[in-house]
Amino acid sequence: MRIKDLAFPALVMTFVLGACGGSEPPPPPPAPTGPTQAELDAARADSVARVRAEEARQREAERGEQERLSAARDEARSTLEDMVNFDYDESVITGEAEAILRRKIPILRSSPTVRLRLEGHADERGSTEYNLALGSRRAESVRDFLSGFGIAADRLMTTSFGEERPLVNSSDETSWAENRRVEFSISGGEIVVSEDDGS
Amino acid sequence: MKSLSSKVGTMKALLIMTMYGCFQEVGNLDAQVQDSIPGVTLGLLYESEFYPALAVHPFRGDRDAGEIAREIETIIANDLRYSDRFEVMDSIPLGLVGEAIDYQLWDQLGAVWLLSGSVQRQATQSVGFILTLELHDIVYGTIHEQGRFWLPSTEDRDFRMSVHAASDQLLQWIYGEPGMATSRIAFSRRSEDGNQELYTIDSDGENFRQITSYGDLTMSPTWSPNGDKIAYTSRKGTGFPRIYELDMKSGVERALPSERQGDYITPVYNPNGREIAFSVTGGNRSGIFRYNWLRDCCLVHISGGRWDDLSPTYSPDGKFMAFNSNRLGTPYPQIFVMAAGGGEADLVSPYIHGREGYYTSPDWSPSGDYLAFHGRVARRGRYQILVAQIADSGRRLRQLTREGNNEDPSWAPDARHLVFVGTRDWGTGLMVVDTASGKIRMLLRGFDVRVPEWSPSLKESLGVGSLRTRQ
Repeated sequence: MRIKDLAFPALVMTFVLGACGGSEPPPPPPAPTGPTQAELDAARADSVARVRAEEARQREAERGEQERLSAARDEARSTLEDMVNFDYDESVITGEAEAILRRKIPILRSSPTVRLRLEGHADERGSTEYNLALGSRRAESVRDFLSGFGIAADRLMTTSFGEERPLVNSSDETSWAENRRVEFSISGGEIVVSEDDGS
Repeated sequence: MKSLSSKVGTMKALLIMTMYGCFQEVGNLDAQVQDSIPGVTLGLLYESEFYPALAVHPFRGDRDAGEIAREIETIIANDLRYSDRFEVMDSIPLGLVGEAIDYQLWDQLGAVWLLSGSVQRQATQSVGFILTLELHDIVYGTIHEQGRFWLPSTEDRDFRMSVHAASDQLLQWIYGEPGMATSRIAFSRRSEDGNQELYTIDSDGENFRQITSYGDLTMSPTWSPNGDKIAYTSRKGTGFPRIYELDMKSGVERALPSERQGDYITPVYNPNGREIAFSVTGGNRSGIFRYNWLRDCCLVHISGGRWDDLSPTYSPDGKFMAFNSNRLGTPYPQIFVMAAGGGEADLVSPYIHGREGYYTSPDWSPSGDYLAFHGRVARRGRYQILVAQIADSGRRLRQLTREGNNEDPSWAPDARHLVFVGTRDWGTGLMVVDTASGKIRMLLRGFDVRVPEWSPSLKESLGVGSLRTRQ
């Protein structure tokens, strides 16, 4: 890529120089049939514009590629950070949670250095201290699920906030359901996006 | 004689008013048996005990100590009222009863005990005051006990505690039982940013003090056996819950080393003061561990496995431990008791297969006879404060609350009162229930508080209440 980038404008430059004139003395001018100075200038400007355009196209293509990669990484990151929810008083992985967790697996496989922090949470109902343990159990359920797919457990650190960090601060079924969750944060490593990812 | 009877009439009217005032805070005591936990009989039955009337003769202060004498009188009268053992008659104008103590008058008014006191300002700056208390037995017309107490100056942060120590001495004189006046309650409070810091409040609801400022989640305080230290769990620094110990006098903090992964939560001191027990969750091995603070050594696994053994509490002799656990394999925690070193555990909370309740947060009474905890009565119901007798393995439970939501009971050093977190229509606060009468008192209102822990008597660790009796 890099070499091509440099070589292409160089070639164009030689062509342009060649067109400007040779080493032979010019024949006597019968009449000014050759290109006028204005025409030459226009041609040069035209060539320069073409070169610039080509350079821009190259940069655009590269930026597009980078953007695509970065978008894929962002998507992978957000897939990894997608939280999962739980039923009341339960730490069992639901069908919905399983679908979310399964999407994380290819990313964790292609990014072997990535480590995740799994943070368990409970809704406000239930004992304060017991909810710390419940949050912990939820985080452990997630870790067990992921390690069942070959993700090394030591890449997955668990901790619990119990009922102390609600997402939604109100007391109704919808808020409670949102608050019963495991959150994911990337605590280290680099996300590598594989070609076949995106399924 | 005529003057005495008219005096009695005025006094009676006055006393009825004062006593009526005291009953404003009393909850519903008349409720009878309630069958809210399937198959378990919960009682709200209280013996209608007779509480002797204790009158307080206006305290006198020499020179310029008059105002302080009245302040001390109020502190002591409230302590005696909160002890729930007397009908207290106080704030009586001196003009009504006169300087001299008239046993006949007090007898007519129905007083069984009379307390009089005087306060002398000490010449030396450091000493503060000398409080002299006289406890009169009205029935026999004699002085029952007399004592002198040294109090620091009113600016001293232990001034009120020194007065509380005198109140506890009165209870000792009358009943030979420990009081709870010389004690504090530690708890965490949620701030607007969602963090929690530790606070303490005196047993009479005064001296609301902030203990930590870590800007993180700091919770579950526990007092050392003589009250000179507290231990707690905090996420500060490491981002994981770890156990810390704070010396209340020096402010020196030490951290328990983290030898294994997981969250370190729910600490409790062993009554020997040398060890601390706590739960580890989410690590390679969950369960209850203990650690020796004195030798600064060794995490020893006591119990647990895939289930969560949580919130341990020791019997006062240190031989047993109660905790809550999911070891029955249901999502509903139950209360168990086992030997302090581990081993087989006995179920204490009521359990009917398929209709399990939810019981957590046990606290062993200082007398050793009872376990207090809270329980969810219906699957989506609210929590109530329950007390089980150790001797009958919890077959009979007493339910101490009925309204709102009630969690995390902790015994007072008098082995009679419990503090807990109560949530009502108006919000959350700390409440105190007298387990003998069922009376509920508001301690701290309108703060989002968690997991209170009542201290032991702080007499020894604060060095207050030094006393010289008459002989």
